[in-house]
Formats: sequence, structure tokens, C-alpha cells
Amino acid sequence: MHTSRWRKRVEGFTLTFLERLKARSQPLFLHPVIFISGFVCLGLLFALQSWNSARIWSYRLDLGLLLKAWGVQYFIWGTICWLLWFWYGPRIQQLTIWRMVAAVLPFSILVAVVEEMLWVYCIPNWPIRRREMDYWKRLTFMLDGEMVDNLVIFWCTFFLVRGIGYYQKFREKEHAAAQLEIEVIQAQMRALRMQLNPHFLFNTLNSISSLMRTDVAAADTMLEQLSSLLRIALERREVQLIPLTDEMEFVEMYLEIQDQRYTGRIREEIRIDPELHDALVPAMILQPIVENAFAHGLSRLDSGGLLVVEARRENENLKLTVLNNGAGVNAEMATARSSQGVGLANVKNRLWLHYGADQMFSLDEIDTGKVLATITLPLQFAKSPTAKFTGYGV
Amino acid sequence: MIYAVVADDELLARQKLRQLLREEPEIDVVGESASAMETIELVRMTQPDLLFLDIRMPGMDGFDIIGALMAEPNLPMPRIIFTTAYDSYALRAFEIHAVDYLLKPFTFERLHSAVESARQQLQAAKHAPARDDLAKTNGHQYTKRIVFKSRGRILFLPVPEIRWIGAEENYVRICTQSETHLLRETMSRIEERLDPQMFLRVHRSSIVNLQYVKEVRTDADGECMVILVNGQKIAMSRSYRSRIQEWLHR
Repeated sequence: MHTSRWRKRVEGFTLTFLERLKARSQPLFLHPVIFISGFVCLGLLFALQSWNSARIWSYRLDLGLLLKAWGVQYFIWGTICWLLWFWYGPRIQQLTIWRMVAAVLPFSILVAVVEEMLWVYCIPNWPIRRREMDYWKRLTFMLDGEMVDNLVIFWCTFFLVRGIGYYQKFREKEHAAAQLEIEVIQAQMRALRMQLNPHFLFNTLNSISSLMRTDVAAADTMLEQLSSLLRIALERREVQLIPLTDEMEFVEMYLEIQDQRYTGRIREEIRIDPELHDALVPAMILQPIVENAFAHGLSRLDSGGLLVVEARRENENLKLTVLNNGAGVNAEMATARSSQGVGLANVKNRLWLHYGADQMFSLDEIDTGKVLATITLPLQFAKSPTAKFTGYGV
Repeated sequence: MIYAVVADDELLARQKLRQLLREEPEIDVVGESASAMETIELVRMTQPDLLFLDIRMPGMDGFDIIGALMAEPNLPMPRIIFTTAYDSYALRAFEIHAVDYLLKPFTFERLHSAVESARQQLQAAKHAPARDDLAKTNGHQYTKRIVFKSRGRILFLPVPEIRWIGAEENYVRICTQSETHLLRETMSRIEERLDPQMFLRVHRSSIVNLQYVKEVRTDADGECMVILVNGQKIAMSRSYRSRIQEWLHR
């Protein structure tokens, strides 16, 4: 009964001890085995050194005894220091200079004495050939010689622990800063994508509203198309990079809606190199460009409009182009700079956030009235292409 | 006449369906229900040919309703057309042989094509009631329709509507009269699911539906091609030429 309670207590202690050990994030050398062995190795080195210096003075000492004496001393110190770090580590980092002088200094003297007491107890035949000395005499003798050494060891460890604390804090801060940067970029991306949708959404709703009065069936068709578009946009949510097929699907749906508005005035061509269907592009990167071609180019034509969307491979790059024969680049550039050109500015921003300096975006007038928008970005493929379902049945 | 029941928990959704179905002279809506229990009761009483079924309903979902109906002995199972705002049940709907899967909001054309499929299925069943069983015993292995998602819609595409199929790297492009759809699939996999009596591989990268082939022509350069009824030209390899000639002269 009594023993079992004790056992429980010991188990409880070891359990919390192990848990705490696991919970602490720590550099590898602060693992107790490594830390204490390190101390013992240091002690053994000192033993060798004093054995060597004794030989120089032609003084014969038993190497085994020296190793034992130094080894035990540093083993005790290692254990004490590790326990100090384990129990007081976080508090050591918060100590002010006054607390150090007022509390840690007396504590260090106490620890130094206790360590020496333990050591004298463990090594009874030291000092050598003074068998007649009793425990207390030996203790005072040893303290006389070792007190300063002990204090040096204590304070070295103390500042080492403090240093580790600063180092860990520094690393944590660095990690947090990196994390924050990623989050900021993601938030920016979200914001940019949100700006793209409403612009187009409300224009389409307005078209539907207008069609409702004249052509109910056409309004219905447009509503269905808009719903499909929204369904896909919502499905994608936070996904930043999508296969080109998905982006083109979106563009095609957008064009279907535009077709209704500009009945027969615009011819559309889409040319995608089949090997690029699975190439990754930022979601909603083409739609604003196509939209821009309509808003500032094609919409001004009465007939004979042409829109060509093309995807080609150029070495290790993917080249996406949108050509239109609208009003010319000046009109487009002017609007691109104004508030209406927010779509194109977003394209540039998002390309920069995704690819840094590895991408290019340009808007050029290649012929009178013909404007070519070009996006060049590093060619990447989805590791596992999104499995859209296909089912067969009778 | 096709007797139909409309099951949807939203009044406006039922209203829209009923209005659109007025344009379908063959459809007679015999009842409406707004919950799972009502639907089961109504189907039991009216025994309709066709059930327009919303998936999310109070009480049970659409699939539970079908399960409950199938469990009833002596109750002829109506054909099902799902009408729902969610695209995530499409594959399940396809597996239980639903006629179609309409994503809300849908247009009259979309509804009309669904009704047309239902009409054909019902007619086929009337003329050959044992046809399904026969097909099973014959080990019928060719697909009659394909389900996939294209441009935000769910399509239960009857295979005869496919005019031709083109290979595009890891994808195939399925072309119908008015549209093309890109599917992630290989030519060989889709070829082996299609009835060779109906579809012929004419090139490494194309399969044509023989129903829509108008002629086979060799131009001045000796290049062979298949010309479809709509005038579309599809390149043909020489190795496949004899196969199509054989078919043409049959």
C-alpha cells in the first residue's frame, strides 16, 4: 500500500519529467546524455592535462585516480548544470542584473559547496596519501583550492544557458517573420482575386437585367452560364495554381457570355498546344486580359472583331498571348493606368508575387489597331493532375 | 403521355419547373411534393413515369427517397431526373441510372434535352421491356453514355451524340454537334469502351462516329481523309483506310 503510493509518485514524477523533456524544444546538445557526457569528457581532458603537467615536474601520479577524480567532478557538475537548465532555463533568461547579484550569486556559492561535498564523499582517497584526514577536513582542504574553479564553471554554464535562450528566441522570431511574409502574400493574392470577380459579375448581372425585359430565354441562358462560372470560381477557392485546361475552361465560359452580348460581332480563336493542357498557371490570370480586350478594344468595333487566345511552349517557358484588333494600344494603355485598368495591374502583381523576376507581361500594338498581350512564365506541370470524374455506363 | 411528379422543397423551384414543363406537350405533371415523405406517398399513389427530384430535401435526401421507393414491392420505378444546386452527387446519380442531372439554375433547352432522353428511354422500355435483362445476359460491355463535367455543367452524354473524338496529349476532345469537351482520358481507353459497330478509329489521334461519316476522300497529294456530314475533315491514316472502305461498301 505504502510502497505502491510511492511508486505512483515516482511514476508520476518520471512521467511529467519525460513529458516536459519532450515538450521542450531544445538544441541537440542539451539532451541530458549528450550534455553530461560532454562535461565528463571535459573533465577527463583536464585529468590528462594535470597528469601531464605533474610529469613535467617529475611528480608521479596515478592516472586512473586522476581520471576518476576529474571525471566524477565534471559528471556532478554536468548533472547539476543540466538540471538547472531544465528547471530554471526560461527563468534564467528573464533575470535582471540585480537579481543575478542578489539571488544567483549566493546560490552559486551554495551550489559550489554542495558539489564539493558530493565530490569529497565520492572520492575518499583524495588528497592523496593523507588518509588520516576526516571528511570535514578534506572538504575544507578541497574548498580552499577548488572554490574559484567551481564558481567559474557555474557562471560559465549560467551564461551559456542565457545565450541559448537568446539564440532560440532569435530563431523563433526569424521563423515567425518568414511565416508572416507568406501569410501576407497569400492575403494579397486573395484580395487581388476578389477584385477581379465583382467587376465582371456586376456587368453580367446588368446584362441579364437588361435581357430580362427583351428576351427571357437569353436572360435565362446567361444566368445559367454565370452560375456555371461562379460554381467553378467557388470550387477553386484558395487554389493559386491551376492546370491550363481549367483556366481555359473558365475563359471559354466567359467568352460564351460575351458572345451573347456581342452577337456575331467578334470571332474567337483558341489555340492551345495539347502538351500544355496540364501546365500550371495562376488561377484567373487570362480572364482579366480577355476582359480588357473586350472592354477597351473589341467593344468599340461594329463588326469584324477578332480575338485569339494562344498558349505555346518556348523552351522552358509557357507563353500565353491574347490578340485583339480593337481600338489600339493607346486606348488600352490609357485605361490600364486608370482605375478601370485595375484588372491588368492585378495580373502584373500576381505574376510578380508568384514568379518574381522569372515572368514577363507586356502589352504591345503589333499592327494598326492590333494589340497583343503576352504573358511569359516558367513552365511547370501539376504533379498529380486534378482528377475530374469521367464515368461510363449503359 | 408521360406522367411526372415534381419534388422540391422550394416553392419557386417547383413553380419554375412546372412553367417550363407546360411547354412540353407530352409531359403531364400529376403532382408536386415538398418533402421526402410527401414524395414517397405521392409516387406510391400516382405511379408516375418520371420524377423530377431535388437532392437536398427535408427529412431524407433524394437518394434515400429512391432507396425507399425501390424497397416497395409492386411499385414501378419512375425514371429520375435530378434537379439540384450541388454538383457533387453527379457520379452517384449516374450510377443509379438517373436519366439526367440538372444543375440549378438550368435553361429550357437543358430541361428539354433531359425530357427528351427520358422520353426515349421510356419508349425503348415500352417496345422492348426485357431489353435491359437481355443486354446483361449477353455480357453487353459497350458504354451507352458518358458522364463528365464540362464548363461548370454535368453532362450525361448519350454516346450516339458524339460525332468524333480527337486526341490531345493526355486528353481527348469529344465533339458533338454544337460543342466540344476536353476530358482527361486516353484514346485507347475510350476506344475500348465504344461499340466498334458505331465508332471507328481512323487515325492514331481520331475516332469517328460512322453515323456522321459522309464520305472518304483521297486528295491530290494522296492524303486520305474522312468527311463528316457537317463538312468537317478528319485526317485518316492509310492503315485504317481499308477498314472504313469495308464499312462503306457494306
